[in-house]
Amino acid sequence: MNELYRLATGPLLWASFAVFVGGSLFRLLELFLLARRRERFLFTYLSLRYSLRSIGHWIVPFATVNWRRHPVLTIVTFAFHLSLLITPLFLLAHVVLWDEAWNVSWPALPDAWAIVLSLIVIAGCVFFFVRRRVTPEVAYVTSASDYVILGLTAAPFVTGVIAYYQWFDVRLFTLLHVVSGEALLVAVPFTRIRHMLFAPLTRAYMGSEFGAVRHARDW
Amino acid sequence: MRRLAATGVIAAALAVLWALGAGSQEEMKAVSSDPFPRPQRPPAVFAHDAHNEKAGIEACNECHHVYEGGRRLEDESSEDRRCADCHGLSDENGRPGLRKAFHRNCQGCHLERRRGPILCGECHRRR
Ligand code: HEC
Ligand code: HEC
Ligand code: HEC
Ligand code: HEC
Repeated sequence: MNELYRLATGPLLWASFAVFVGGSLFRLLELFLLARRRERFLFTYLSLRYSLRSIGHWIVPFATVNWRRHPVLTIVTFAFHLSLLITPLFLLAHVVLWDEAWNVSWPALPDAWAIVLSLIVIAGCVFFFVRRRVTPEVAYVTSASDYVILGLTAAPFVTGVIAYYQWFDVRLFTLLHVVSGEALLVAVPFTRIRHMLFAPLTRAYMGSEFGAVRHARDW
Repeated sequence: MRRLAATGVIAAALAVLWALGAGSQEEMKAVSSDPFPRPQRPPAVFAHDAHNEKAGIEACNECHHVYEGGRRLEDESSEDRRCADCHGLSDENGRPGLRKAFHRNCQGCHLERRRGPILCGECHRRR
């Protein structure tokens, strides 16, 4: 088991970082080339000011009509995404590992907080799963891969909580935690999770078109 | 009669051993985390003597070391002092902070020898 753990935290970790970074850069380049081929004139009105104005509105809960129209979804979405990003970056155990591998360090969350944030992520995945099943307009645009990415997202958090409390076999669940986290990183460029890279660009595109061309709001 | 005598001798020996055991200080079962202001994990399991015997570590200064001018002294040891006496909470030019010192010392050897625990939950065990 420890040999598998060494494999997962050594070569596999490097491979997953490489695929995550390389794949993400490739996706961005691909998008840029597509925009240049199909919508050349986009670059004539692309505006930093209107881009930031759009991002600024969409990044604040209830600052857009759409957010206000779906209050429950808005609260869940914001709580979910914030927890999803904050937990892995500020989890004490991860800060310890960065410090001990690279001598870089930053403040960490107390473990009790990290548990609460992890439970929010898991609850969010359950919410989105149920929503895909019961809301007709969402079910209509749902494919199998949407369920797969919900599972991929939940997995590192579920196994992390189990390993933290040392339920079942702590070695097995620590290993599953590492491997599922790597799988999630690798999945970013190849699944709809890439909205993590594209969301700000989508807003820049919409914001610029509405602001500079249509002279209207996009929120 | 021989039987009875032998039993008596064994019983006496056991009594002496028990007295010695009770008289000596309580055996160490875990590394205390009390130098840390707000410990977040259960103290790491470490049955001092049994561990070192099982791992076949002879030299006390494998862990209880003394440095002078950046070099480790071969024939000096510091078991009369706690790690926290020399290792502060954060790193200090070349001297690892306390948490890192423990982890480098314990995990470092386990990784090198490919024996002994390397996962968080194997050392910081909840009961
Ligand atoms: C594998 C590492 C290691 C080795 C080898 C080792 N020790 Fe220790 N020892 C420790 C640690 C860790 C502590 C706890 C230190 C602390 O809390 O700051 C400790 C504590 C002690 C203490 C204090 C005990 C107490 O109950 O507070 C004594 C005395 C001691 N060691 C003696 C020795 C002697 C003598 C040897 C050699 C025969 C030895 N040690 C070898 C790691 C080691
Ligand atoms: C007498 C003071 C002193 C005590 C006691 C002490 N250390 Fe150290 N330790 C040092 C110094 C000084 C250095 C820095 C060495 C250098 O400059 O490279 C160091 C370095 C280290 C290192 C990094 C170098 C290496 O050997 O891998 C580790 C790990 C470490 N100590 C662990 C421990 C542990 C664990 C204990 C308690 C069992 C302990 N130390 C007790 C003074 C001490
Ligand atoms: C110099 C090498 C070395 C150092 C330093 C060391 N260990 Fe170990 N440790 C071993 C070896 C070797 C084993 C495997 C023994 C076996 O099971 O055969 C082991 C096993 C263990 C085990 C499992 C014991 C069991 O009964 O299976 C624990 C727990 C442990 N070490 C904790 C620690 C902690 C905590 C420290 C630091 C304070 C530490 N070790 C420092 C070499 C080391
Ligand atoms: C080989 C045994 C070992 C392993 C494996 C290990 N630790 Fe430790 N750790 C120790 C020892 C010994 C200490 C010193 C104080 C104590 O006993 O808690 C310590 C201290 C700490 C501390 C500071 C004290 C506290 O409770 O806040 C943290 C945090 C910590 N470890 C986290 C981790 C994390 C996270 C992992 C896995 C990535 C890990 N440790 C793996 C042995 C280990």
